[in-house]
Amino acid sequence: MKTRRVLAVTRKSLAQFRHDRRTLGFVIGMPLLMVLVFGYTFGGEVHDVRTLVVNDDQEVPLGPTTFHFAQDILENLEGETLTLVAASDLAAAREEVRAGRAWAVLHFPANFTENVVNRTDNEQGILDIILDGSSPPIASAILGRLRAAIEEALGGSAGAAPIALERDYVYGSEDTRFIDSFAPGVVALAVLMVTTIFSVIIVVREKSAGMLERLFATPLTSTELVFGHALALLVIAFLQSAVVLTAAIVLFQVQVVGSLVLAFALLLLFAAGNQGLGMMLSAGARNELQAVQLIPLILFPSLLLTGVFFPLEAIPQALRGLSLAVPLTYAGDALRSVMLRGWGLLEVGGDLLALVAYAGLTLGGATLLIRRQA
Amino acid sequence: MPRRENMPTGPAVTTTGLAKRFGAIEALRDLTLEVPRGATFGLLGPNGAGKTTLLRVLLGLTKPTSGSALVLGHPIPPKAVRTRIGYLPQDLAIYQDLSVEENLALFGRLEGMEEERIAKRTEEVLKLVDLTGRRRDLVAKLSGGMRRRTSLAAALLHDPDLLLLDEPTVGVDPELRAAFWAFFATLTGRGKTVLITTHYMEEAMKCDLVALLHRGSLLVRDAPSAVKAATNSANLDDAFLALVRARGEVDR
Repeated sequence: MKTRRVLAVTRKSLAQFRHDRRTLGFVIGMPLLMVLVFGYTFGGEVHDVRTLVVNDDQEVPLGPTTFHFAQDILENLEGETLTLVAASDLAAAREEVRAGRAWAVLHFPANFTENVVNRTDNEQGILDIILDGSSPPIASAILGRLRAAIEEALGGSAGAAPIALERDYVYGSEDTRFIDSFAPGVVALAVLMVTTIFSVIIVVREKSAGMLERLFATPLTSTELVFGHALALLVIAFLQSAVVLTAAIVLFQVQVVGSLVLAFALLLLFAAGNQGLGMMLSAGARNELQAVQLIPLILFPSLLLTGVFFPLEAIPQALRGLSLAVPLTYAGDALRSVMLRGWGLLEVGGDLLALVAYAGLTLGGATLLIRRQA
Repeated sequence: MPRRENMPTGPAVTTTGLAKRFGAIEALRDLTLEVPRGATFGLLGPNGAGKTTLLRVLLGLTKPTSGSALVLGHPIPPKAVRTRIGYLPQDLAIYQDLSVEENLALFGRLEGMEEERIAKRTEEVLKLVDLTGRRRDLVAKLSGGMRRRTSLAAALLHDPDLLLLDEPTVGVDPELRAAFWAFFATLTGRGKTVLITTHYMEEAMKCDLVALLHRGSLLVRDAPSAVKAATNSANLDDAFLALVRARGEVDR
């Protein structure tokens, strides 16, 4: 082994690197982006969980003091985790949870404090909690916070537990596992990665082999080419979704209470948008190496900002706006709602609109950009 | 048979004052040229003379900066007559991961041919380029010359009236090169027009007409023998140099 020859190869590689500004930027910029996004999002505490409070409790005077446990507990609940919103009508509050606009309702019944103060063996103060259990991290954050607040209100001596929590799950159950809540998002993530990367690579390959020019020398139009590619990739996305969903259901017994057909349709719509995105991105890549560099650019925001692994409520407020710009946020939310909450087409309408807009914009953009690459 | 408008009359290609700029580079300068129907027409010149750019402009793949052109009687981009044009680019431009007949079927469908006609024409063109026995092989498994022939077969499949061939004989062995030229002669014999770019001046002697390009401008357009005679040159290489010298534009 000759050192001179080794160094010649090293110098050559560094020189190539120097000539490729984008790769240089990627090498420095990407780890920085990763550290920043991970640092700000990973394992963040859940906060601002919208929780409705229906408080029918009354204070109970006893000797020189007056007890009002509901008030005490609510005061102890103040903080960043829960955003408490007062409500008067229990049925209306429950409907808010059903519609996905709140995660929980705390209901203090009229004789709550009285039952706590005068507790007998049979009677306890009963606190009703109506929960959306489709996100175990959020459900456990609410319950954890509530237990701490109760304990504090009782002076730390919970003892024989004079307060009982009565849980009523609108969606999910005590048995809903973390894997149930993240499986829909992971399925969408798998579709995102494959469809986007495939379409980037397909177009870049055609571009670099002179194929695009050859295709456009026939009567083929840009729109026909884009939709032709998209359809082919949809078939792949369909097979892939089937495999991932089946594996999740069969191997991990992931809960599905909603329509699998709707889940599939949502995935395919999402896949169509990803193909458009991939084809648009391919305009910015001259070769396959540069195309590969785009992967983390899509992967990291999708992993961290979209509620797939951590609920959106765990993302710092400053970054939540960003998560609204990442399409996986809508796809994941729609799939979770269908699979865990059993929602139908109308109920996921907002997400559906976002996904239709995503597909329309990216496929339209790809049509405009693809011809310029020939 | 599809109805062919303008078939018997007018030149195959006419350009008038055609110019194309890429930033500071003038790829085509005030190019006025006529390619008659039924001719083998050679576009000659060194690399960078503007040959490929001219073909791309004629195909509508790139817009000219100024000037105009008619292809089979239609202004560029030649949408109305696109299915009557066959194009063989310099790159192979066939899918390596498809078989020979899969490639042909793709281009046939893109050209709007019926499946039945695709099958029939596939037989014909494969016989012509001598690839009948390899039709089911992946292109990636073929030799360089076979790939080139597959690419030519794809350009011929829809039986175009005008063939635009960009350096079709680069990297092709002498035997196959001779076969290509013999084949071009049979095409023109059937009334087709073959517009071919090359920087092999000797090959160009086989053309009916040649146009010599230099830095995007037309030096001369005539029969190859007439070009040699006018410049008193032994071959087209010398004729080219003589014409460039006369313009006072010799590099080196």
